[in-house]
Amino acid sequence: MGPASCLGRPTRMAAGEGRMTSHLRRFLSTFVLLCLMDHASGQRKGAPRDLKCVTSDLQAWDCSWRAPPGAGRDALYDVCIKNRPRTCYQLGKTNTKIPALAPGHYEITISPLQDFGSSISRFILSERNVSLIPDPPEILRLSANFSTSTLHLEWSDKGSAFPRIANVLWEIKVLRTENMELVKLETLHSTLSGEDTVLRWSWASDLPLECAPHSVGLRRYIDDTHFSGRKEWSDWSPLQTVSGSADIQNKAFPQDKVVPVGSDITFCFVTREEVSSAQISNTKYPLIHLDGENVAIEVHNISVSISSGTNVVFMTNKDVYGTVIFAGYPPDIPQKLNCETYDLKEIICTWDPGRPTALLGPRSTSYTLFESFSGESVEFKRVVAPINETYQLFFQVLPNQEIYNFTLNALNPLGQSESTIFINVTEKVCPHTPTSIRVKDINSTAVALSWHLPGSFAKIKLLCQVEINKANSVRELRNVTVKGVDNSNYLIAVDKLSPYTVYAFQIRCSSGTFWKWSKWSSEKQYLTTEAVPSKGPDTWREWRSDGKNLIIYWKPLPMNEANGKILFYNVSCSSEEKTQSLSEIPDPQHKAEIQLDKHDYIISVVAKNSVGSSPPSRIASMEIPNDDLRVEQTIGTGNGVLLTWSYDPNMTCDYVIKWCNASQPQPCLMDWKKVRAHSTEALIQSDQFRPGVRYHFFLYGCRDRGYQLLRSVVGYVEELAPTVAPNFTVEDTSADSILVKWEDIPVEELRGFLRGYVFYFEKGERDTSKMRGLESGRSDVKVKNITDLSQKTLRIADLQGKTSYHLVLRAYTGGGLGPEKGMFVVTKENSVGLIIAILIPVAVAVLVGLVTSVLCYRKREWIKETFYPDIPNPENCKALQFQKAVCEGSSALKTLEMNPCTPNSVEVLETRTAVPKIEDTEITSPVAERAPDGSEAEPENPVAVSYCPPVIEEELANPGAEEAAGTAQVVYIDVQSMYQPQAQPEAEPDAEPGAGGGYKPQMHLPVTPAAGDAAAADGDAEGAAGYRPQASGNAWTLVSPDSPRSTDSGSDAVSFGSPCSINSRQFLIPPKDEDSPPSSGGGWSFTNFFQSKPND
Amino acid sequence: MSQREGSLDFQADSSISPLPLLEAKIHQTHSLARLLTKYAEQLFQEYVQLQGDPFGRPGFSPPRPPVAGLSAPGAGHAGLPLPERLRLDAGALAALPPLLDAVRRLQAELNPRTALLRRLEEAARRARALGAALEAVLAALGAEPREPRPEPAAAAAAAAAAAAAAAGAFPAKLLGLRVCGLYRDWVSRTEADLGQLVPGGPA
Repeated sequence: MGPASCLGRPTRMAAGEGRMTSHLRRFLSTFVLLCLMDHASGQRKGAPRDLKCVTSDLQAWDCSWRAPPGAGRDALYDVCIKNRPRTCYQLGKTNTKIPALAPGHYEITISPLQDFGSSISRFILSERNVSLIPDPPEILRLSANFSTSTLHLEWSDKGSAFPRIANVLWEIKVLRTENMELVKLETLHSTLSGEDTVLRWSWASDLPLECAPHSVGLRRYIDDTHFSGRKEWSDWSPLQTVSGSADIQNKAFPQDKVVPVGSDITFCFVTREEVSSAQISNTKYPLIHLDGENVAIEVHNISVSISSGTNVVFMTNKDVYGTVIFAGYPPDIPQKLNCETYDLKEIICTWDPGRPTALLGPRSTSYTLFESFSGESVEFKRVVAPINETYQLFFQVLPNQEIYNFTLNALNPLGQSESTIFINVTEKVCPHTPTSIRVKDINSTAVALSWHLPGSFAKIKLLCQVEINKANSVRELRNVTVKGVDNSNYLIAVDKLSPYTVYAFQIRCSSGTFWKWSKWSSEKQYLTTEAVPSKGPDTWREWRSDGKNLIIYWKPLPMNEANGKILFYNVSCSSEEKTQSLSEIPDPQHKAEIQLDKHDYIISVVAKNSVGSSPPSRIASMEIPNDDLRVEQTIGTGNGVLLTWSYDPNMTCDYVIKWCNASQPQPCLMDWKKVRAHSTEALIQSDQFRPGVRYHFFLYGCRDRGYQLLRSVVGYVEELAPTVAPNFTVEDTSADSILVKWEDIPVEELRGFLRGYVFYFEKGERDTSKMRGLESGRSDVKVKNITDLSQKTLRIADLQGKTSYHLVLRAYTGGGLGPEKGMFVVTKENSVGLIIAILIPVAVAVLVGLVTSVLCYRKREWIKETFYPDIPNPENCKALQFQKAVCEGSSALKTLEMNPCTPNSVEVLETRTAVPKIEDTEITSPVAERAPDGSEAEPENPVAVSYCPPVIEEELANPGAEEAAGTAQVVYIDVQSMYQPQAQPEAEPDAEPGAGGGYKPQMHLPVTPAAGDAAAADGDAEGAAGYRPQASGNAWTLVSPDSPRSTDSGSDAVSFGSPCSINSRQFLIPPKDEDSPPSSGGGWSFTNFFQSKPND
Repeated sequence: MSQREGSLDFQADSSISPLPLLEAKIHQTHSLARLLTKYAEQLFQEYVQLQGDPFGRPGFSPPRPPVAGLSAPGAGHAGLPLPERLRLDAGALAALPPLLDAVRRLQAELNPRTALLRRLEEAARRARALGAALEAVLAALGAEPREPRPEPAAAAAAAAAAAAAAAGAFPAKLLGLRVCGLYRDWVSRTEADLGQLVPGGPA
């Protein structure tokens, strides 16, 4: 198949056969493709090649080809299109614009006109080989709204240049800053309609437009479904730029912008200075550098602003700049929208704005109230100063319009909202408060009430409520329906009132179809006029005790019965024979006394006010006696006393209970109460009743002839505990009991019926007793409850003698225990016991003494042998009979060598054998071992050395021994008197111990004060082999004060007591020393005891 | 009157006024200045608190350009003769009320529901009163009267306020800060200057 066969039909044909079926088209496409392939393979070098055709509007094709190598610029080409009316063109360029060819395949031959004869190029061309590339769109206008940072773009779609309807895609790009950073790329759709249409696009920049230039370009893509060739995007339109204001310096943007809370915002700052930091509140934000020194910051999720907005601050080295952003909320839907009227002249719509917007001043929410039926609207004018803004709007009521459809629109810079309400204004009436309340008399039980209520209520009825208050009564509400008027004055009659009563009237109103009450009017007080008293006064009478005068009592009429001010009373006493009257007793007086004889009278009392007299009250004067009467007791219920009695058919009229304070003298009267004839009980109540006060109640029954006292009762409305304790005294006290006597408590202080006494007692002193808490059941407190009220004494038995007791007495009533009164009582001493306590020990002591004496007497021999063996008689001592030679031959025998014996008072009472003496003298003392030291002890008191041996020896012949027995002493005769006088003459021999062969005392006590001498003497004694004392004298205790300290002052020799010695008398009894002090108890001993019996 | 700076000149010229009356007037004016100093400090503190951060922060100290021709008391103010100082004080007090009124109007848009508006109004009234009292003292002392220029001051203040309002809320806040600061400074300065005239005051 040759290329020529591939040529399509001319364009006209294509136009005429535009309705080619798709099947045929597919066939032709396949055919053209084969032809082009064949043609391409047939190209030869030196021929034009690469034929390309494009179209921008589908109406003309712009075809171009590449010139053959070597062809100059001025080369001419012969271009022929087969199957076209004008088929060939001679062109001096390598492109040509031909009208769009009809669908089909066309052979195009291009042959250079130079001498290349054989270099003709043939192309098969169809629409499929043509590209649709629209012309670049043209921006008509690019504008900027700097306040909203919005770009507005306008361009024409040039639809008139396109032959048929087609879809168009538009791509718009926004470039920012001088670096042309792409910040937005958006694709739009439109349709070409055959006419030029201006298209618009707006875009809000996140960055304020003042801070950076923004450039916008766009291109398009025509999506013609009928075009079979390739479709491509057009080129970009020339950029159009919105520059930030060049003359702005040191300004931050956006300025004073209102944004929703939580928005993301970009702030920028136009400056030529270097920006050091940017911050909002306390937070610094990183700087985003724009062109030059301009910077921006991004803030995300901005928080709600304060009233004056949120400050955004940019700091340079020189100054501080900033802007303010107001972050708030769009208006909430108005809530609780309510429209009503006070007077049917004006409608008031109120609402709650809901959530605060946080936007104030010029940014605050404005409200518009629109009424749809009338088309009228009112606007809410913002008030600057008030803090508590009231949201309400006034809308004038329109004539002949009752139905209103209101729409409340709320608007602020962040948005708007609305709320609607549909009302019938006649049903939404909340009248003003009625004023000018006036009252006028109609009669004593009715008044006329008028008031003023502003409003045009002629079309409706009003429902009004009258509140009627009177003292000590519940309030009464009366509803009244009145027809509305235009003059605002209303009048009604209020009846069923009480005469001479102060009433307080208040009024409020609403519409007949109730919506809301008005506020209560102010109170208007009014006193109704008087009427005749409706009843006579309640009357009673009392006879004087003399029975001659009758006192008539009556009670003032209550207000609802007096019907006016009672001016005076008239009292009359009528019998069958005569009538006595007391007229015009003035009101404050409610009793009268009249002297009557013994006739029966009917007393009549009438009350009068300014209008007239009451019906008379009548009562009989006669009092029927009752012999069978006793006083009873009763206890009330706290607020009164209930009296009951048996039904008595004889009581034909009524019962009267009168009462008075029991402490008042009879007859007394506090008040009375009348009950109906057939009653059997009455609750007596009175404001005068007081707890703890005894009252006397008298029940009278009414017979035809008079009143008879039926019962006499004393009682309390409430019992209380006594206020005082009973006085009590101790009548008698014994060692084991106490008799107590007490007195009655006066009735006034008893405050209840006495139930008994409680007596407490316990051991205790005045200062130490702990009687508090006696009721707590302490075990050491004894309690006696005395319920026998006649008992006035109490003997407390089984007490301990000479013991203090704490006694407490309390009285009690039904109201409780009264105060306590106590005293301390000491029981008497038990004398018999004391005597017994003394006598028994004495008797025992005597008995023991007697027994001991008897025993001692019977065993006296044994005792004597045991304790007081006989002292041997020195005269019988063998030692005294020693031969001189013997004594001289042995120094030991010198002990018994007797110097010329100086007579003294020493007497030998009895001789003893040597052996027992030696044993008796075996008394040793630890002190004796320290005999050498004994010389240092009390050198000036060497004479009184006592000895207390267990051995007692009786003095047989010495009459002075009886006296000594009384002092019970063992007296030793000082042997120093034998020693010292003897020592002085023998001073020479003492100097030669070996030569001293005379008697040496067994104990040496220095008489001279010089201790050294005594020591020397001891040394001498030790050097001697004679007898040594068995104990040191200063180690002995002084037990016998009458031991001779300095005996026989007339003698030079000093008596020196010595213990038993085998070579001296055991008892050295001095003569009685009258000057010696008497013996003390301490000197008593068994020795004396036995010595007191010298005969024994 | 004690011999302190400037007092001798006044004494020579004030022979027409009884001395006790003049002293009472000075006392009264000084007391008023002292009271206004306290109020001005309260006003300043309340103002910065209501403007939000960073106005209330201690370190926030924007530049203090002259406002409507009124600048802060200069560092050399104390070195000027007392009559000259008092004349400057009176001039500043005359210029302040329109500025305070302008600030009040600006704040009505920003803080409409606060007591700041009333305080600004009171401050303008008190500044006028103190200025008038100071003028009276100056007249009594025989000082040359200050050039009357309330109208230009009002116009300049209005212009400054309009410019600030047009520039935005932030410049308006800065203007208010500046005016309240000037009010505080000049009232305090006036109190100090009058204190030198008060018997027993600082020499």
